[in-house]
Amino acid sequence: MSEQKRQSEDELLEKVTSTEYKYGFTTDIESDTIPKGLSEDVVRIISAKKNEPQWMLDYRLKAYKAWLEMEEPDWANVSYEKPNYQDVIYYSAPKQKPVLDSLDDLDPEMKKTFDKLGISLDEQKKLANVAVDIVMDSVSVATSFKETLAEKGIIFCSISDAIQDHPELVKKYLGTVVPARDNFFSALNSAVFSDGSFCYIPKGVKCPMELSTYFRINEAGTGQFERTLLIADEGSQVSYLEGCTAPMRDENQLHAAVVELIAMDDADIKYSTVQNWYPGNAEGVGGVFNFVTKRGICYKNAKISWTQVETGSAVTWKYPSCILKGDNAIGEFFSVAVTNNRQQADTGTKMIHLGKNTKSTIIAKGISAGKSDGNYRGLVKISKGATNSRNFSQCDSLLMGDKCGSHTFPYIEVKNNSSKVEHEATTSKIGEDQIFYCNQRGIGTEAAIALIVNGYCKDVLNQLPMEFAVEAQKLLEISLEGSVG
Amino acid sequence: MGLIENLKSYSEKVQTSEKKKELLTSFLVKGFPTTKDEEWKYTSLKKVVAKEYTIENTGELIDSSTIEKYSLGFENKIVFSDGKLISSPNIEGISISGFSDFEDSTTGSVLQLNKALANNGFTISVDKNTVLENPIEILFFSTAANNFSQYRNQISVGDNAEVKFVERIQNTNDSTSMVNHFTQINCAKNTKVEYNKIQNNTADSRLIDTVSVYQEQDSTCDINTLVFGGSFIRNNLNFEQNGSNCESNMNGVSILDDNQLADNHTFVDHKSAHCRSNEMYKGVYLGKSKGVFNGKIMVRPDAQKIDAFQSNNNLLLSDDSSIDSKPQLEIYADDVKCSHGCTIGQLDDDELFYMRSRGIGIEEAKAVLTYAFASEAIENISVEPVKLLAQNLLAQKLNVDLDFSL
Amino acid sequence: MLKINDLKAGIEENQILKGINLEVKAGEVHAIMGPNGSGKSTLSAVIAGNEDYEVEGGSITFNGEDLLELDPEERAHNGVFLSFQYPVEIPGISVSNFIKTSISEKRKAQGLEPLPTKDLLKMMREKMELLSIKQGYLSRNMNEGFSGGEKKRNEIFQMAMLEPRLAILDETDSGLDIDALRIVANGVNKLKSADNATVVITHYQRLLDYIVPDFVHVLYNGRIIKSGGAELAHELEEKGYDWVTKEADKQWA
Repeated sequence: MSEQKRQSEDELLEKVTSTEYKYGFTTDIESDTIPKGLSEDVVRIISAKKNEPQWMLDYRLKAYKAWLEMEEPDWANVSYEKPNYQDVIYYSAPKQKPVLDSLDDLDPEMKKTFDKLGISLDEQKKLANVAVDIVMDSVSVATSFKETLAEKGIIFCSISDAIQDHPELVKKYLGTVVPARDNFFSALNSAVFSDGSFCYIPKGVKCPMELSTYFRINEAGTGQFERTLLIADEGSQVSYLEGCTAPMRDENQLHAAVVELIAMDDADIKYSTVQNWYPGNAEGVGGVFNFVTKRGICYKNAKISWTQVETGSAVTWKYPSCILKGDNAIGEFFSVAVTNNRQQADTGTKMIHLGKNTKSTIIAKGISAGKSDGNYRGLVKISKGATNSRNFSQCDSLLMGDKCGSHTFPYIEVKNNSSKVEHEATTSKIGEDQIFYCNQRGIGTEAAIALIVNGYCKDVLNQLPMEFAVEAQKLLEISLEGSVG
Repeated sequence: MGLIENLKSYSEKVQTSEKKKELLTSFLVKGFPTTKDEEWKYTSLKKVVAKEYTIENTGELIDSSTIEKYSLGFENKIVFSDGKLISSPNIEGISISGFSDFEDSTTGSVLQLNKALANNGFTISVDKNTVLENPIEILFFSTAANNFSQYRNQISVGDNAEVKFVERIQNTNDSTSMVNHFTQINCAKNTKVEYNKIQNNTADSRLIDTVSVYQEQDSTCDINTLVFGGSFIRNNLNFEQNGSNCESNMNGVSILDDNQLADNHTFVDHKSAHCRSNEMYKGVYLGKSKGVFNGKIMVRPDAQKIDAFQSNNNLLLSDDSSIDSKPQLEIYADDVKCSHGCTIGQLDDDELFYMRSRGIGIEEAKAVLTYAFASEAIENISVEPVKLLAQNLLAQKLNVDLDFSL
Repeated sequence: MLKINDLKAGIEENQILKGINLEVKAGEVHAIMGPNGSGKSTLSAVIAGNEDYEVEGGSITFNGEDLLELDPEERAHNGVFLSFQYPVEIPGISVSNFIKTSISEKRKAQGLEPLPTKDLLKMMREKMELLSIKQGYLSRNMNEGFSGGEKKRNEIFQMAMLEPRLAILDETDSGLDIDALRIVANGVNKLKSADNATVVITHYQRLLDYIVPDFVHVLYNGRIIKSGGAELAHELEEKGYDWVTKEADKQWA
């Protein structure tokens, strides 16, 4: 490559990597916070503030005690200064009535926030037919479309409300897929989670609209520990969307969520995430630590499909997984993970095949730029009884610039001889011939990269519901391109 | 009691250098790696080291008919009998002698133990520009029962030299002898080295074999590993590329049955730009056998223009066989083409049916398809008798009387 | 329109073009012929601005503007089109999407709004008909899994859509069967006008039966060693390249 070309590419990469975070604004709303630090008392305060029943408090305390004995995991290929867990504020609620009669009652400041995020809670979403639950800092502030959904028997509310109004469901399922002691972060979440979403789709019901939750960390120094529990009863169907943003802050913010999905016989859950937490600045100062445990269980003929577009966070530690327990269950994982500047991501999935004729598909696309590191880590496990099971995995990595890293760590364990597993992985840079070809057709290098990256991610983006796909596409361009208006 | 205890009592009475003593003492503190160690996650040494072993090398001298039996008949033979070098050829431009200790950069407690205990092995030095057409055959025999032996070998190949080796480690009895084998190969500029490892030892034998290759610019090194016999086999293969235009090739075929376990660990460290690596491992698992593959390709910062290819394909042919595979890429340079593929499956029913409809019996059809599956890796071996042996062993393992040598 | 003056260019240390002089005027069709390795593809790559090639001397002007100063996409915006000998695959991007982007970028450079989708689709349909391209083709990914002929036809389709002022067809005939060749040539002929020019680069005379050139140049060892009319191509077909190259070898020995 000629010197001149190398230079122009360097300039371009420089431009690409110096893109500012678009969602870096804070919302000026009074918050109701408790002092920072974690203790048994704090757990009790959180529970009391939420007016929880005794069983919930007991659950939290048990998790807290387990957490005390656990160590923060360090097997992931990421390095960061471990958070001081006594320096985090574990509860912060926007100071206002958490449940609104009408969305018009929202604090105008908060409404502005949502508008900036591109979430309009009113007509737009009604037209788009999306029911939204918004969790800001730690508390769910608004759930739309509650009545429409109630007609079908669908429960879609904050998990706090669910604990009050549907204790039998929460009690039955909470912690069954991700036990509190599963890992360090799930234990922490189980002890201190302050809100999140709850969803129950009754037998045979096809949810008539997309359900959506937006998470936002606003208050400085707060951790966000949301908890999502989604139960799709026999033969039901639901598509669930999750979006995440956080303002720019110099210090690292902690996000340790737990998501549990239960797909009963013949149920179908599609769970899509667009994660755009603040990634820190170009020097790696600030940003969100995103330590998330997501797992679903599939019973007979059930299907869980995870789709994620991960562009944010300083450090991501996340493995949305499927336990394919019932015969003929299907698990899918479609992922685009972009790292830029100093971001680090260690993400992938686990597909645990237990039932017969279970199938899983993994499509993971990593894009690393700047001085970032992207890791795919995945497990495909075919247990002895999983006769005739299938897995196909494709993990591709695209490198942009010579200062970034891209790594692939698949674990494949097969104990059944009638099953088939195929795993493929490639690592390469964007083809210079592709860029030149685009150039020749009048497409500038920056637009060419966006185009090529888009094509490269198509298999994953195609899985997203329409309006999310458009948002994700834009997000990809923003994360990589420097074309922010 | 067990190997650790045997080693402890050995350490109390052994006369050796302070340094080796220290290594041994520190090993005894740590012990053998467990499955908690990421590098040994799928391969447990627990049962292997629970056995009793003798540490000293004592046995009867083997006779020429035994050598004949296991030799592939090459003219140049290096033969060890229970550690003792009993025969070595005179080859112009190549000096061959017995054990001579050397430093190496490998880590891990098993190799530390090798360093501490080894006082046997070969030292080969190939002069510049020497080109040897026929391979040098290296045979290690163990006649002692339940012996735990160490070999530490070094091959240094001078600029522009070309040389091939065929190695075999063989027990002459059915005991549970274990060998901890280490070979360091240094390839100077523009060298071509091929090292073939035939692992077809007795049913209860155990082997931990490590080969570390250090390559300078324009060198090519091929390591072919054929795993057929032995109850526990762990192969570590490390390549370090230290110069441009290096090529590292690895071919592996494992055909396992009964309770055999074979673990192939490979690590290619691309430290320089404009280099290549090709890796192809094929595994066929019968009975209750278990395969492990762990391949890691590392591309260091600024090691641009690397082509690295790795594939691991496995056939599970019985209900109780299993495979754990961990193909890994760690890439820190952008202008690279790296890929890995891993498949686990069975023979294709349509292909089987097609062959049977042409009158080929099911066992033969399976064997032919299995051979076709493994042959890609076998075809890359340049030493004809090794290729032939692989074909025959394959037929033998699959219980068919077929000649694949077409 | 296109003026090449004493152009010297190469790749790394290796000089391939050793002083090319060529003038192409609007409305003309030029054919550049020559044996393998004579520098035909290098010439097209340098005109299009492929940075793998180093320009060591000489100039290329396009409608009076210094082409060598421009980025590849700026050359494209100015109306230079190269039909690649080996069209590149871009996985995941449909033909229609690619062409839309291409046209929008060109219009953007000209300060124009993007073409309304309706108009774009209409235009695509027209041009597809012109090149006998089947429905369903637009939604396929750029050159992915295309046969050799399909790739070449895709190049000419893009040419039709982009309406360049100068089209360079680099070995467009290679990989085409006779029917495809006729369709492609037919398309090129239909797109010809008094305002645009075509440079056909080819090894064989075959394509020139369908696209009749006004001028034929023989490129050999980095230089144009002979120029003439359409009859030169026939002469070459009959006698081979030897009779011209031998003379040149003597001259430059």
